[in-house]
Amino acid sequence: MTAAKVLTPTVLTYIKVVLIVAVVPAIVGFVVVLAERRLMGFMQVRLGPNRVGPKGTLQGLADLVKLVTKEDVTPARAEKLVHFLAPVLAVIPALTALAVIPMGPSVRLARHVSTPLYVADINIGLLFLLAITSIGVYGIILGGWASNNKYSLLGGLRSAAQLVSYEVPMGLSLVAVLLMTRSLSLVEIVQRQDRLHLWFIFPGLLSFFLYFVSGVAETNRNPFDLPEAESELVSGFNTEYSGVKFAFFFLGEYAAMIIISCVAVTVFFGGWLPPFPHVRALSFLHFIPPFVWFLGKVGVFLFTYIWFRSTFPRYRFDQLMALGWKTMIPLALGNIVVVAVAILATPNRTTGLVRLGWIYGALFVVLFLLAKLRQALTRRDRLEAVPASARRTA
Amino acid sequence: MSDEKISQAERDEAAHFASRAAAAGVARPLAGKGDTPASSSAEPPTLFDVQEMELNFGPQHPSTHGVLRIVLKVDGEKILQAIPDVGYLHRGTEKLFETETYPMGIPHTDRMDYVAAATNNHAFCLAVEKLLDVEVPRRAQLIRVILDELQRLSSHLVWLGTSGIDLGAVTPFWYAFREREQILDFFEEYCGARLTLNCMRIGGLPFDLTTGWIERLFEFVDDLPARIDDYEQLLTDNRIWKKRTVGIGVLTAAECIEWGLTGPIIRASGVEWDLRRAQPYECYDELDFVVPVRQNGDTYDRYVVRVQEMRQSVRIIRQCLERIEAGDIRGKVPRVIKPPAEEIYASVESPKGELGFYCVSNGTNRPYRMHCRPPSFINLQALPKLAKGHLISDLVALIGTIDIVLGEVDR
Amino acid sequence: MALKKWLDKITLLDLFDGLGVTGRHLFKEKLTIQYPEQKKVPSDRFRGMFRLDEERCIKCTLCAIECPINIIYIDWHNEKNEAGKSVKVLDRFDVDLKRCMFCQLCEEACPTVPKSIWLTTKTYEMAAYDRNESLYLDIRKLTDWQKAPNVKPFTVMEQG
Repeated sequence: MTAAKVLTPTVLTYIKVVLIVAVVPAIVGFVVVLAERRLMGFMQVRLGPNRVGPKGTLQGLADLVKLVTKEDVTPARAEKLVHFLAPVLAVIPALTALAVIPMGPSVRLARHVSTPLYVADINIGLLFLLAITSIGVYGIILGGWASNNKYSLLGGLRSAAQLVSYEVPMGLSLVAVLLMTRSLSLVEIVQRQDRLHLWFIFPGLLSFFLYFVSGVAETNRNPFDLPEAESELVSGFNTEYSGVKFAFFFLGEYAAMIIISCVAVTVFFGGWLPPFPHVRALSFLHFIPPFVWFLGKVGVFLFTYIWFRSTFPRYRFDQLMALGWKTMIPLALGNIVVVAVAILATPNRTTGLVRLGWIYGALFVVLFLLAKLRQALTRRDRLEAVPASARRTA
Repeated sequence: MSDEKISQAERDEAAHFASRAAAAGVARPLAGKGDTPASSSAEPPTLFDVQEMELNFGPQHPSTHGVLRIVLKVDGEKILQAIPDVGYLHRGTEKLFETETYPMGIPHTDRMDYVAAATNNHAFCLAVEKLLDVEVPRRAQLIRVILDELQRLSSHLVWLGTSGIDLGAVTPFWYAFREREQILDFFEEYCGARLTLNCMRIGGLPFDLTTGWIERLFEFVDDLPARIDDYEQLLTDNRIWKKRTVGIGVLTAAECIEWGLTGPIIRASGVEWDLRRAQPYECYDELDFVVPVRQNGDTYDRYVVRVQEMRQSVRIIRQCLERIEAGDIRGKVPRVIKPPAEEIYASVESPKGELGFYCVSNGTNRPYRMHCRPPSFINLQALPKLAKGHLISDLVALIGTIDIVLGEVDR
Repeated sequence: MALKKWLDKITLLDLFDGLGVTGRHLFKEKLTIQYPEQKKVPSDRFRGMFRLDEERCIKCTLCAIECPINIIYIDWHNEKNEAGKSVKVLDRFDVDLKRCMFCQLCEEACPTVPKSIWLTTKTYEMAAYDRNESLYLDIRKLTDWQKAPNVKPFTVMEQG
């Protein structure tokens, strides 16, 4: 019996599904959470968890054991069924969404057996992702509501408003990319970047920025972590959750974070492609397998999330709304027009995109340098802010 | 919703709370001008009816800086009314003073404002010294000022870290506590304790400095301004930080004076009132420092004032270290302290504001009455006015900006 | 002015500055003290657990009087020694450590030179499961630390 007979495409799909359901939580638990805690620790001049296992690598296991063995408390007057279902609702869509993420091109497993590194390449991939991830918000709202706790309720409502608002700029920023790709299939998007010899980050710099900021907001991460804002709402929507149910919320949040990073990599950073795949001088980069490139890029994004979390204060609820509706959405709409013009104004759409990329890049660099210059020129002694009348000499 | 409706609801609630508070023996915060119902921040009437919700903020809430309970009346997230309920940490310190001799009172003052024990000790000792009419030797004065300013630094660092965390910025907390630990090391080396210092005695100090302390402190204060730059880089210009603090909880100079608010709060409202300058004690009058003043009276200005005060403290410490000279550390104080029967008030500028002790002596070795003017408690009065009309998120910022320590509020 | 503000707003320089600070600290030396393995050595004046020298103690009870919260209990009686002189003998010298606030006023009050009761023992590891048993020091525990449960031996610091 050859491998080809056993590993039929159906079997392979099942294997991949199982891997996603089993491996992603493990990665989340072991790698991302640990990396977050360690890196945040390092940024805060401390060590972070380093006791369980060598260098703290088994911290995830310890946390898991703790969460599973913990008493599962349901508040007395909670809406029991909804309280139970909410964490499930939060985690299932996040794991489902991973099915369409293309992590690499076909790989050969054995003779005559090869399989692409994604479960499904559906032709509405991007739309599917947007749709399925927005289901996750129900888990949070319902969890907040069903807990019968005022803080949870406030957290749930904050989250509802926030997620609904940020869906819009996120969708709009991706529309600009669709103009470049002419396809919703995530695999096609990557292949197109390969064909055009151009990552969409360059013409889509603004799109990417908007997408990433809304992505941070969508996943309730700092500086947009209002739904769980510890210092304000104790723990927000998950105040009344413990044990496995809490673990599910936790997993859902981190899985969502991974998905946002994956989509950002796929759409803007060429997915599994190495940087500048067609530059001969960089061809040695092809030796690194595509899958590793993909994971590496996702890792960079996750690091950025962690970096943000350890640096920024938290927005206020109304300010967050204002940012979403008054800044992000107009910018996203404007960006669509700019990209459309760039494509239509040139006979060859690729040239248009390349030019747009140059313009965005140059603009960004010039503005940044200008601002740095201004900062250097006006860097004042902070004491100058004190009025002269208040000064006194001995 | 209409203004009348809110005000009626508020009156009801206030009356309800007052009766309940009276029944429970809880001190109700003073009602001031800011409590008038139609405040400027009230929204115009909308189509929707007000749906009020009572929310218990604390005493076990992560950002009430201790065991403060605030009974909130909220419409959605908007605060219609906020009533602080204090007393969860009441230990009867003032009564305790009456049962003990004067020197025995000093350790108790450590436990009032427990992040700034040195200034508490200082105020207490100052009051008794004033009763006894004792002159503190110059070396002791200088060391006291150094300890005070170190304490101000460490208190402001705690404030900076915690109010950063309140607004979601986690990292300044760790940086601030890194420096605070170093300051506590200096305290530990000087008097053997890190938090509850008990580092002053009536008429002077318990110990002389250890060898090398001055040199190490010089190194530390040389290093500190760069560290403060780090905090500022994380927060001062940050747009999110500014959005969360600018225009939040504005107090005018007149209001501050009316409410008796002191410390960085009044200085952020444009009043240059600092006891170190206004009523110099110890050797503050010969030191060169600036009293930071800002004009807007909002949370951001209070932040800036405190950060600048930290820089000034560094300046003061450096000057004191330069001036320090050999000499006695304890004035001529009798073994048994029996002050004449008098009443006296002495105060210092603690990191939170004016910390004073009103001491009534009846000629015995125990005070007849020792009353404390705790800046945290008096500054906390402004919270209902500050919080009104803001959101719950802002309440957290406001509790942080008042810089309360519940040990001092409840005593 | 408006241009400057706009420039500041659009380049997010304030946010990048903040990221720079945390990014810089990522590679700085960490300050964590890995407690059971590494220990911070307390300073010489560190106020830790009590120690009593029964020989030096003159049973004047000044420490008990000066204690702001009255946690030192001293009982003594007179006894004739071999020379026929009346001397004070301690019956009880207890410190209720669980209420102690380590203010060192007892040590200051002690009139003997060197002090008969002192706190500068550099000892602080007194965590115990039974506080009434472990945090109530009688003469035996005050003078002979090695046999007291949960307390590690310490460097003896004789203070003038």
